[in-house]
Amino acid sequence: MTNGSGPGPAPSTHWVDAVGAAVFALVAGFALLLLVAPSLIVIAVSFEPRAYISFPPSGFSLKWYWAVFENRQLTDSVQVSLMVALWVSLLCMALGVPAAFASIRGTFPAKAGLNAFLLAPQMMPGMVIGIATLFFGAYIAFRASNTMLVLALSVFCLPFVIRITMARLADLDPRLDEASANLGAGKLETFVRVTLPQLGPALLAAGAFTFIEAFDNVTVALFTSDVRGRPLPVELYYLVQNDSTPAIAAVSAIEIGLSCLVMLVLGRTVGLERLGGPATKT
Amino acid sequence: MTHIQLEAIHKSYGQTQVLNDCTLEIARGEVMTLLGPSGCGKTTLLRTLAGFVRQDHGRVVVGGAEISHLAPNRRSVGYVFQNYALFPHLSVAENVAYGLKVRRRPAGEIRERVAKALHLVALDGLGARFPAQLSGGQQQRVAIARVLVLEPEVLLLDEPFNALDAKLRLTMQVELRKLIDRVGITSIFVTHDQSEAMMLSDKVAVMRAGRIEQVAAPLAIYDRPVNDYVASFIGRANVLSVEVRGGVVASAPEVVANRADGPARLIVRPENLAIAGADACWSGRILFASAQGPSIEYEVEAGLPEPLRLVVPRQAGEAALPAGAAVGVRIVDPGACIVIGGGSGV
Ligand SMILES: Nc1ncnc2c1ncn2[C@@H]1O[C@H](COP(=O)(O)OP(=O)(O)O)[C@@H](O)[C@H]1O
Ligand SMILES: [Mg+2]
Repeated sequence: MTNGSGPGPAPSTHWVDAVGAAVFALVAGFALLLLVAPSLIVIAVSFEPRAYISFPPSGFSLKWYWAVFENRQLTDSVQVSLMVALWVSLLCMALGVPAAFASIRGTFPAKAGLNAFLLAPQMMPGMVIGIATLFFGAYIAFRASNTMLVLALSVFCLPFVIRITMARLADLDPRLDEASANLGAGKLETFVRVTLPQLGPALLAAGAFTFIEAFDNVTVALFTSDVRGRPLPVELYYLVQNDSTPAIAAVSAIEIGLSCLVMLVLGRTVGLERLGGPATKT
Repeated sequence: MTHIQLEAIHKSYGQTQVLNDCTLEIARGEVMTLLGPSGCGKTTLLRTLAGFVRQDHGRVVVGGAEISHLAPNRRSVGYVFQNYALFPHLSVAENVAYGLKVRRRPAGEIRERVAKALHLVALDGLGARFPAQLSGGQQQRVAIARVLVLEPEVLLLDEPFNALDAKLRLTMQVELRKLIDRVGITSIFVTHDQSEAMMLSDKVAVMRAGRIEQVAAPLAIYDRPVNDYVASFIGRANVLSVEVRGGVVASAPEVVANRADGPARLIVRPENLAIAGADACWSGRILFASAQGPSIEYEVEAGLPEPLRLVVPRQAGEAALPAGAAVGVRIVDPGACIVIGGGSGV
């Protein structure tokens, strides 16, 4: 260690800065802990060899993972959830992308009003959408079913797709479309050759977010899903109420793992900053 | 031979009339410049030719055939955008190849023509780069190559030098003019910079608030502006309110005016005024003097609403007269002065 530049308050850094940095690190660390710790605890619990939840786990065993795969009720509900998420994603993309186009590129009266209307479900609690759909369904003799769940979740998720697509579209230079037309391309060819390639990452992100949200949603699903073919989150909800085994932690751990995988793949292919940025909620 | 005709083009956005009765003829192989201040409708007129804007009235005729009803992608009109509008997700070569791909040309032909086009704009070897990796001047050349590769009938350029720094701008102006002469393509430029217009074009159309004020060769516009607006836009001019009496200008009797007696405007270029003694038309004091090397610029307060501006040639070793000095001002060549009606707006 050389003279003068040792530890302690060096003359060049003001002590206020040093304290500020320390406080910042502390708060950041605490926030990170708060966000990550529950996931880590759940993962740890899933390795518990005994038949009840405890932390820290008393040993290490993968038996609850096997239990999950052997539980017909759970595997069925995973299938239901996957199907629901797939349909919701497809529906939201099919409706949301053209809607985003209309609201960015279109020129028609009441555009602002339509925008507000399309994005409104995002302001609404999922529970309200669930109950409203259920009541409205009852009114027209349409009972809670996974079709109803798909419809309700699509309403819930549509703003995601619209917002992500809109944010990217607003960034695109409309002159590029004109340049393409000037070089001889028709509207469809311009869309395929110019717009879509630049929109691609945003669409991928929108699809992924919608899929995850639809897969994982409880608040809407609780009211609208089929009584027999329940989706996974609802199934888990009932499961914890009746008996709490580490199997639930195992399911959660699997979900966490898959989410991380999706984020990793998207991050590698698309870039996380492009997924995050404009897509985050206001 | 007339190649492009714009006939009485009108265009309004809501209440604002952006183009008002614009009529313009451009000969084959000619380079025309639309010159005017920002917001006067130059871009809109150019976009009408490319089909991005549909005029309310009027006809667009290219090569004798009306193209007003054609969609932009059916017109053989190359457009270079103000910000170049290169496709950011495509390489330089792919940008240039775009139009050929759309036309479904065979791959071999595309490769050959792209290479030729890149060579034409001196960008050989940069085909694999992406637009973001190019300088402004290079991007501009890609944008030009991208339309020239299709061998369009007409080349339209919207303020193509705006994004370039001043030094590069001059080089690119010369290069572009040479390129156009080599290709021999009918071209229309848009600019708000009069020196650019003088340098690049065979003819200049001066625009004001949606109207075309005068169309002529650059020097013809400089020497014979139809009104004081054009006179001040192309080069600098002294515009003086005068009286015409008996066929001459009252305050400068050597200037002949072929018009009825009454108020008029006299347009005199700064280099057509000189410092004088007894034979002066005006006398006053020097407000400001600046020696530029080959010339000296004076502003002379002569009791007129605006000071007179003079540019006089400078001899070696000559110093400018000091500010405040009492001087006379005379007209050098009365025949080069312009007298127009007093009513024309400013
Ligand atoms: N799409 C449009 N909608 C409304 N006004 C427009 C539109 N395009 C141009 N304008 C108006 O028309 C006028 C002329 O514009 P422009 O042709 O771009 O001028 P310039 O290119 O000479 O600067 C401007 O006042 C501009 O605001
Ligand atoms: Mg313009």
